[in-house]
Amino acid sequence: MAVAAGALINLPAWATNWTAETVKHTPNFLSSGQGDLLGDIAETIIPATDTPGAKALNVHQFIQKVVADCYDSATQNNVRNGLTLVEEQAQKSFGKPFAQADSAQRMALLTQLSKSDDAAQKEFYSLVKGLTVRGYMNSEYVMTNLTHYQMIPGHYYGCVPVPTKAVSQTK
Amino acid sequence: MANLTIDAKAQNTYDAIVIGSGISGGWAAKELTGKGLRTLVLERGRDVRHVTDYPTTMMQPWEFEHRGQLTKEVKDANPIISKCYAFYEGTQQFFVKDAEHPYIQEKPFDWIRGYQVGGKSLMWARQTQRWSDFDFQGPARDGFAVDWPIRYADLAPWYSYVERFAGITGNKDGLDTLPDGEFLPPHEWNCVEKHFQKSIAGRYKDRHVIMGRAAHITKPQPIHLQQGRAQCQHRTICERGCPFGGYFSSNSSTIPWAAKTGKMTLRPNSVVHSIIYDEQKGRATGVRIIDANTKQMQEFYARVIFLNAAALNSNLILLNSTSNRFPNGLGNDSGVLGKYVAFHNYRAGISAEYDGNLESTTDGRRPNGPYIPRFRNVYKQETDFLRGYAAGFSANRISRSNQSGLGADLKHSLLNPELGGWSVGSHMMGETIPKESNYVALDKSLKDPFGIPQLKISIDYDDNDDKMVKDYQEQMTEMFTAAGFKNIRLRDDHRNPGLDIHEMGGVRMGKDPKTSMLNKWNQMHAVKNVFVTDGASMTSTSTQNPSLTYMAFSARAVDYAVKAMKKGLV
Repeated sequence: MAVAAGALINLPAWATNWTAETVKHTPNFLSSGQGDLLGDIAETIIPATDTPGAKALNVHQFIQKVVADCYDSATQNNVRNGLTLVEEQAQKSFGKPFAQADSAQRMALLTQLSKSDDAAQKEFYSLVKGLTVRGYMNSEYVMTNLTHYQMIPGHYYGCVPVPTKAVSQTK
Repeated sequence: MANLTIDAKAQNTYDAIVIGSGISGGWAAKELTGKGLRTLVLERGRDVRHVTDYPTTMMQPWEFEHRGQLTKEVKDANPIISKCYAFYEGTQQFFVKDAEHPYIQEKPFDWIRGYQVGGKSLMWARQTQRWSDFDFQGPARDGFAVDWPIRYADLAPWYSYVERFAGITGNKDGLDTLPDGEFLPPHEWNCVEKHFQKSIAGRYKDRHVIMGRAAHITKPQPIHLQQGRAQCQHRTICERGCPFGGYFSSNSSTIPWAAKTGKMTLRPNSVVHSIIYDEQKGRATGVRIIDANTKQMQEFYARVIFLNAAALNSNLILLNSTSNRFPNGLGNDSGVLGKYVAFHNYRAGISAEYDGNLESTTDGRRPNGPYIPRFRNVYKQETDFLRGYAAGFSANRISRSNQSGLGADLKHSLLNPELGGWSVGSHMMGETIPKESNYVALDKSLKDPFGIPQLKISIDYDDNDDKMVKDYQEQMTEMFTAAGFKNIRLRDDHRNPGLDIHEMGGVRMGKDPKTSMLNKWNQMHAVKNVFVTDGASMTSTSTQNPSLTYMAFSARAVDYAVKAMKKGLV
């Protein structure tokens, strides 16, 4: 690795001592019950396997943060309504809260939502799924341990043979 | 009392004043202090020190609260600056927010600005091509604007001078349309870009695809290490400021170099109101500023003044510098001040796919890409529009994951993307024709938060630009098709002028004081101790990115000014 070859750079204290915190602040956009439900939905979309799932990586907190800060109130309301609907559907279909449904039941419910004729329901699902994927793929755990993001590649090689196993490189 | 006034005046007197600390002001400051002049550098924004004032430079993607996305509050408050490709969660601190400096869009114009020490040199795109005689002879040959008072040979040694110091990567390609420079090693090509280069070379005698020339240190020389700058580390997050000094900025290079001489006084938070003209002496004597913190007006004095406030703000300052002698703006005997403003036409693009070279891919990241120099109307007029366009080009291997479904299958496919084919793309950079009808002026009633008249901007595309967009799309389609690229898609986003961030002119150079503001030394025809060496001074725009040319003009003008001062001419 040709990192900073030929020169010593003194970085300021904040650059050497930073801690890799993920989103720490949860705004009041959802009630804590709805926040937990969002975590269960994210976990259903990307579950724990031999590596952590979305909930353990706090992806649902990232989703809340982004929806609260980057989207308009109509979208925020639609997320609240969508969460209410998921809970109602769980009661109706399985007679218990979404959180207590088994993983096959949860997946069936979300799959049904993704195919809904109702535009608002479909939009809710695709927003939550898109943000779950983004929050997961951009989490410290995934970028550090699974996709091996290099902040400082130190090179660009134009023509290299395709590696046997591709790894993603997100900017 | 009299003595106190004299003392205060002496305290505020320098040999030289530079207005602005961006790419050209930084060079003026470096050259003036290097020649021993006590120089005051006035910057309207805050100080930004190299490394310590780059708060996001070491942040990992997951450390950004919104992973880079702008909040609704920021977007709603800033419809103009939010359009800029480089404005995101990690770079917001370096761009002027819409409300900070209002202006009037007589026609839609996205004015992208960076008010801080270093100006836009912190966030620029770092492309640095020389201009050629096809550019400097353009207005005279094609009958627009006025003839440039210089030719390539006048500027060539100054290009070399600034390139060696700034650090420019590139390949010596031997093209008369794009003269070679003092290059550090070029960046690498990928296989598909090489394929396109060969395909074009085999088909056209006069079209070339070359590796971009950019202000990145690919192999540090002693002069770069002396500046405390190191090799570019290919992070490609340049706009956040680079702790390695891998790319050129005023902050990493010219400003600290000028400071080391002990001759520079840097005064941030100094909004220039006007240049002071002394009717008896027949020269400019200093600069009026408004302190951004105290809102107090203050005067500074010097023998020579360099105006480098960035193209449109240099126009604004001159328009606001009125006197009995110059009621329509400093040096504006000709009436051309503020007029003949032009820009670069970035409206069109093309993208496609390529399914060859599937056995190869790329590794790492590259802060640069291939470049197609202008090939239209170079040796003779051959189309129904004037001038031509350059184009960027690049190819990327796409990795895709199946994002359908959910659960463990989705997770598995996200973590195991398949390498797809190649995606290829290009964008145009067209020359626009400076016209009297494309102008800036001061508004008669509206003021900015400092009480300075607001700038009224009236700049638009014309028929020549539309024809050029069409030709770019046709020619690139032909070139892409010949290279075997599939699924070609064309774009014309009709973006507003200004978003190219290459606005130029209004204080143009020329041979005749009746039709221009500046002579061949960037010196005001009518006020010999005022020099303008930023984008405002450009007579025409060429197709090349302009910053390197501003640097060369600045160094050349300082050399002339200091010699002239010694001879008592300035």
